[in-house]
Amino acid sequence: MEKVCVLGAGSTKYGKLEDSISDITIQASVGAIENAGIEPKEIQAGYISNVFGVADKQVHLGPVVMSNLGISECPSLSIESACGSGSVSFREGFANVAAGFYDAVLVTGTEKVTHTGTDWTTTYFSYCSDFFYEGQAGASFPGLFASMARAYLHEFDATEEDLASVAVKNHENGFLNPKAHFRKKITIDDVMNSAVVASPLKLYDCCPFSDGASSVILCNEKFAKEHSKDYVKVIGSGRGGSPAALQGREHLTTIPSTKIAAEAAYKMAGITSKNVDFAEVHDCFTVAEVVDTEDLGFFEKGTGATAAQNGETKLNGSISINPSGGLKSKGHPIGATGVGQIVEVFEQLTGQSGERTVNDAKIGLTQNFGATGASCAVHIFQSV
Amino acid sequence: MSAKPEFIEAAKAGNVLARKCTKCNDLHLATVYFCKKCGSKEFEDSILKGTGKVVTYTIMTVPPAGFEDLSPYAWVVMELGDYDLRISGFLANIQKPGDLPIGAAVKVVDFDDRGIVLEKL
Repeated sequence: MEKVCVLGAGSTKYGKLEDSISDITIQASVGAIENAGIEPKEIQAGYISNVFGVADKQVHLGPVVMSNLGISECPSLSIESACGSGSVSFREGFANVAAGFYDAVLVTGTEKVTHTGTDWTTTYFSYCSDFFYEGQAGASFPGLFASMARAYLHEFDATEEDLASVAVKNHENGFLNPKAHFRKKITIDDVMNSAVVASPLKLYDCCPFSDGASSVILCNEKFAKEHSKDYVKVIGSGRGGSPAALQGREHLTTIPSTKIAAEAAYKMAGITSKNVDFAEVHDCFTVAEVVDTEDLGFFEKGTGATAAQNGETKLNGSISINPSGGLKSKGHPIGATGVGQIVEVFEQLTGQSGERTVNDAKIGLTQNFGATGASCAVHIFQSV
Repeated sequence: MSAKPEFIEAAKAGNVLARKCTKCNDLHLATVYFCKKCGSKEFEDSILKGTGKVVTYTIMTVPPAGFEDLSPYAWVVMELGDYDLRISGFLANIQKPGDLPIGAAVKVVDFDDRGIVLEKL
């Protein structure tokens, strides 16, 4: 198996964007190509992750991107795996470079939905659930995660304020991120006093609907060295699955796919959770970050919420979680999110993350799941 | 042929159509095709009484399209009686968490054009 590296990364701002989905996808891709210091013609394949291109009248994004990069002959494909699309797309690029099919590939995630309005988006996102049992029966995504939050608060010694502290911390980090959707600090009271969406989750427990695109260039180590530039090694990659519907799961305070993906990624990397300096995790709702940090092995089951409240997950705490601001503050353009996490890790490990830099970081991890964690991918990266 | 029409008919009568694996006895909702435990595809139908207890729930105050008339309502995951099997559905007229504590007894009463309709026992 070839060693795989991330050679460059680019991203649009996340938030409400004016440009079309094809425009933002191309903009992020150009950013990654320029950051990597390569020519488009060196790219041998493209992997584009996207969920709702139909909302902006463009599916089959790959050829549109490639044509505008001047490489229409380059093969590409689109990948959908709900909110986990980006990391799955990255995994496909990783697997193909690792297998030796290609020397260098483009992985770009993208989403454009804010123009459709909250009602449309809420309805269409619910199609990512096991729709017959969940979306169709009245469960929105806030509702599904609220059901997990209720179970968590019932089972463990944790409070709604503990969950709120996750949102406060992520807004602190996002405040330092020029590309974040929300650059505004908030307080526990702001979260607790925000409107209840699906109890016990309130508006500020929820990430926003965002537009945005993120992109990376993946290549083998020989290609990376030839370009004599800062790069980051991909040392672990794992994927996993869970029952699609919450009713099919034995426990509602853990996400099986995260554990499976993490175990595979740690094994490939030859490390444990203790070796990880920081992580970008899937905090679509505050409770999700708490569950993620436990499932990834950073905290014992049932202690993640109090760890967050105690400041352990703050920037340069005992383990920095979501230094980018996470989905909560940086934003959640669902097809882009998984790639955006990898952009953050790349920037952190190559000295490009400015004020939000995690000190002395050598190993970063990303965890990105689809829906309520029915699918998940975990990747581990190491600086050179 | 999908088992969903029969599953829906059973729910309308207050029951849950399940499938019991004839090889290992593991119980599934009728919509599965292979046993998650042993991989067999040989099942016998089993009609379970749709009563049980709340495992978890949320109270939906911002309803999705099609549920505006019910808000606030609960969306519930329940465990069926003595079986190791869970289903989910919606339950109207729930205003606050005290109205539906975890462990509360609930039952399937219908399947309308949306999903399984639950009521408190």
